[in-house]
Amino acid sequence: MKIIVASTTYPFVEGGSTLFVEWLTEALKSRSHVVETLLIPFSPDYRKMLDQMLALRLLDVSEHGDRLIAVRPPSYLLRHPRKVLWFIHHHRTVYDLWGTKYQDIPPTPEGHTYRDAIIHADNIALREAEKIFSNSKVVACRLKRFNQVDARVLYPPIWAPERFRSGGSGDYMLYLSRITDHKRQLLAVEAVRHTRTPVKLVIAGAPDPEAEPYLKQIRLRVQECSLDERVTIIPRWVSDHEKIDLFAGCLAAIYMPFDEDSYGYPSLEAHHSGKAVITSTDSGGTNELIVDGENGLIPEPDPEAIARAMDQLYDDRDLARRMGAAGKERISQLGISWDTALDSLLS
Amino acid sequence: MRIAVVNNCVPFLTGGAEHLAQALTTKLIEYGHQAILVRIPFRWEPPAKIVESMLACRLMCLPNVDRMIALKFPAYYVPHHDKILWLLHQFRQAYDLWGTDLQGLPDSTEGQCTRDVIRQADSRYLGEVRKIYTNSRVTSERLKKYNGLDSEVLWPPLLEAEHFSCKSYEDFVFYPSRVNSAKRQWLAVESMRYAHSPVKLILAGKDESPADRRRIETIIAEHGLQERVVWYREFISEELKAELFSRALGALYIPYDEDSYGYVSLESYFSRKPVITCSDSGGTDVVVKDGITGFTVPPEPRAIAGAIDRLYENKQAAESMGSSGCALIHELGITWDRVIEALTR
Amino acid sequence: MKIAWFTPFSRKSAIGRCSAGIVAELAQFASVDLWHPEASDERATSVPRVRFRRGIDADLRQLSEYDLVVYNFGNHLPFHREIFQVSRRMPGLVVLHDLVMHHFFASYFLEDLKDPQAYVNAMHRLYGERGRETALGIVSGKRPGAWESDEVVEFPFFEDVLDGALGVITHSDYLCQRVSQVFAGPVCKIPLAYEVEALPVLSRGELGIQKDDILIVTVGHLNPNKRLHSVIRALGRLGNRVPKFAYVLLGPYDKGYHEHLVELVHANHLDESVRFVGYVSDEILHSYMRHADICINLRFPAIEGASASAIEEMWHGKAVVVTDTGFYRELPDGAVVKIAPDREEEELSAALRTLLGDRAARERLGATARSFAEKHFHAKRYVQEFLKFAWQVRGSRPVLEFADRMASELRALGVASSMSVAEGIAGEAYNLFFED
Repeated sequence: MKIIVASTTYPFVEGGSTLFVEWLTEALKSRSHVVETLLIPFSPDYRKMLDQMLALRLLDVSEHGDRLIAVRPPSYLLRHPRKVLWFIHHHRTVYDLWGTKYQDIPPTPEGHTYRDAIIHADNIALREAEKIFSNSKVVACRLKRFNQVDARVLYPPIWAPERFRSGGSGDYMLYLSRITDHKRQLLAVEAVRHTRTPVKLVIAGAPDPEAEPYLKQIRLRVQECSLDERVTIIPRWVSDHEKIDLFAGCLAAIYMPFDEDSYGYPSLEAHHSGKAVITSTDSGGTNELIVDGENGLIPEPDPEAIARAMDQLYDDRDLARRMGAAGKERISQLGISWDTALDSLLS
Repeated sequence: MRIAVVNNCVPFLTGGAEHLAQALTTKLIEYGHQAILVRIPFRWEPPAKIVESMLACRLMCLPNVDRMIALKFPAYYVPHHDKILWLLHQFRQAYDLWGTDLQGLPDSTEGQCTRDVIRQADSRYLGEVRKIYTNSRVTSERLKKYNGLDSEVLWPPLLEAEHFSCKSYEDFVFYPSRVNSAKRQWLAVESMRYAHSPVKLILAGKDESPADRRRIETIIAEHGLQERVVWYREFISEELKAELFSRALGALYIPYDEDSYGYVSLESYFSRKPVITCSDSGGTDVVVKDGITGFTVPPEPRAIAGAIDRLYENKQAAESMGSSGCALIHELGITWDRVIEALTR
Repeated sequence: MKIAWFTPFSRKSAIGRCSAGIVAELAQFASVDLWHPEASDERATSVPRVRFRRGIDADLRQLSEYDLVVYNFGNHLPFHREIFQVSRRMPGLVVLHDLVMHHFFASYFLEDLKDPQAYVNAMHRLYGERGRETALGIVSGKRPGAWESDEVVEFPFFEDVLDGALGVITHSDYLCQRVSQVFAGPVCKIPLAYEVEALPVLSRGELGIQKDDILIVTVGHLNPNKRLHSVIRALGRLGNRVPKFAYVLLGPYDKGYHEHLVELVHANHLDESVRFVGYVSDEILHSYMRHADICINLRFPAIEGASASAIEEMWHGKAVVVTDTGFYRELPDGAVVKIAPDREEEELSAALRTLLGDRAARERLGATARSFAEKHFHAKRYVQEFLKFAWQVRGSRPVLEFADRMASELRALGVASSMSVAEGIAGEAYNLFFED
């Protein structure tokens, strides 16, 4: 089939969706589909939203390809007779973040008008889709609640999971992710302070452009608490090779962002490496993947509770291993695979 | 610098311009910049879609980008504070093709209004960019004639010059290109009737229509040229093409009235092989200098045959012309060094 | 909400007087700055003010920090010229006081800019061939200004102050409708806030009015639109069988019309009863109004949005006689006496005969008028309705600006609004964002 994969992009900033689109394209190609990937630059500035959304509406790919798969908002505005959405997030500021401190459109009459217009356009585009998939239950719920549309959960797999391996069990917890405050690496550092066991923590990943102060804060805290021997920070993008090794050698993974929609690729990478995942009760989408006591632990977002979870796995390596295996099992159970994904998207 | 190369696209269709855009993006990164390629879908039928695409481009944003390099209509309408053009194409249907069979736009009021809109918008918005480069003299001439704008020619270099090398000068001339009447492979084949030397002609490329194929096969059959002409009709890899160039005596590139010199000329010179072209081939005259870097002959089979024979008779001269051609390429700046420097200044 | 309220603020401006009352009340609910052109006889206000001399002196950067800019417009160029100039540079909410703005624009083009061609072009643009011919006649001196006669309502010229407006407020339904015919944005009618000022009152004696005379008063610039020639004739018809009255006309007048009226007074034997006082101070005007028994406030054809003088007379609880047209038509029948314009003299005569003879009727009318004024023509009400409308206008602003941006992008591309693709795009945008 000829398939158009469409998404929006903020130039030169890599996000989770960059890999998502890349991998989706690869997966489609590997099944002999011909893929055209359209990445339309898009600015999140609310004052330019209407203009840019109209632009997407005026571009026309409706006569090309057997399917259009739209990913990041508002690429789904593109018209196509066979449009399928793999919806990964809303423009949250006008939805669930409206009325909170994260709202970036002013709560003025003008702001309300922008919000209403954006939602109106979203509702129209969503209803044109043949099928809507979401990357998590969280997002599916929002689609129902805010847009009154139904979406089927289709969990995003990672590419070539067979690259990952489990290589025994070391003595460190691995927090591999972009470094930014809502990923809460600092919370993990705080937890180490409260551990009983000598468990170590490795933080690896590139800091977001605005997260330099946060990184400084983390380093400072490590220093203040004399944790230099126990906490290692690798503040840069980590190659696949290094990543595989880091996961292979860890005791377990930590992934505890605040209120994220999806479980996050690091969770999958951990499980594919046969490792358990420690997340938190308020981490959002991870809670759809991790079942407390089965393939990981879900303490409250409290340093002491997290420390106890770390200690528990340090003390009981067997448990850690069993949970890691259960993780792999859980992935199959949830049908997180490219076969499932493509079958769903293209059926 | 964070650079966005902005081009159009038609989903699932890739042509020369798309390859160039991709190559430019790759080279920019190689030269140490951050670069992305932005491809904007463009639909031009019915005529209203042209205006819609133009407006869509005007409404788009390019956040977090320091420099924009635009290649075609209507991608060059995307607003940016630091925009330069490497103009490969305007919408010729509104310009030199208007009034011909290739006009594309209807003769109706709507068609005429659309043509006027394109001309007006081009003159306005192209006039606002920092600097205009084009890919050929013809493109520059058209831009000056129709829109009154000045531009500098920035020759598109070979995409992967490193693949090409010089191994030997064997007894064949090479003409790799898609086969159609404009490229005139049929004329090359005709010429083989009159070539005295034992040089063969190797064609590589798919015929664009059954008629093109029939024409060539007929000439071969009628004049018993089966031993003299080899035609690789299926796709040949870049490696095989480079290999053939490395061993060829010279290249034949004899299209009718092209805007530019063509990649074949560049590939030949990077393999240090002379090029035989015709006096009416158009832009090949930029690089093919008669007697210095190759031969320019009238578009007649005997003349072309004569040139082929001359190459065979004086292989030393052939070698020297090939080298001169390579030097000329560098002199003219048909290199990525020059292109990247100009576009990132 | 941060509001910049533009108004004339000379004591001679009725609009300035309205504005003073409105912004004082508005300041309790919003952060208001009063912007006004310099005036030697400016009013007092407790609201922060920004004075400016010329239109270009108004700082746009400063203005863009307000949530809303409000422009008050009336037909008098000297009062509104600078405000008009600012409005060309910064979009805002327009409060349109007058339907007819012809005097304003004629003076603007012909005297300020000294550009008769611009006047002709504008008349052509707004009113077609007829407008162009009329304008040509005027600038070449072949005919008097359209503004000098009833003809002016055919060329009202209010459209140009609405250009670029975010919304329009008028003070009567009929003007609201006229505006909606040419303006696509939000329009609303709010009853004009015009309260009585607390001023010292002179006695009847001090005003020179006889104790038992019934005092009839007409206030304002005396011109044919006020139908005074009909009033004089109607009074003439009354003869001797009505109580003694004094008819005082307060306000500046056109020489020619004044002469005509004086002749009429003489012809109708009313020299003892009719007095032309000319322009008077606010205190004297106020005093006359306090003592008046009947107020005659005719207009035909209607050229204002609302009548500040009629409202003031109603606040004073007076028996007011008006023409049944425009703003006046919208007043309740029991609050004022309405005269049909096509039977003017006849009905006027009958009404005056009744009112002069029946004190109770006068008092009833006055009480109803006052009660109506108290309910509608005060700043509290104005401000509440204004704030509601302001909110709506602010909400519409992104839509208007978006439409403007699209239009200007298309224009810049060379696409005429008549091309069907332009319509298609407008429809596309509307359906995507706003249609329900």
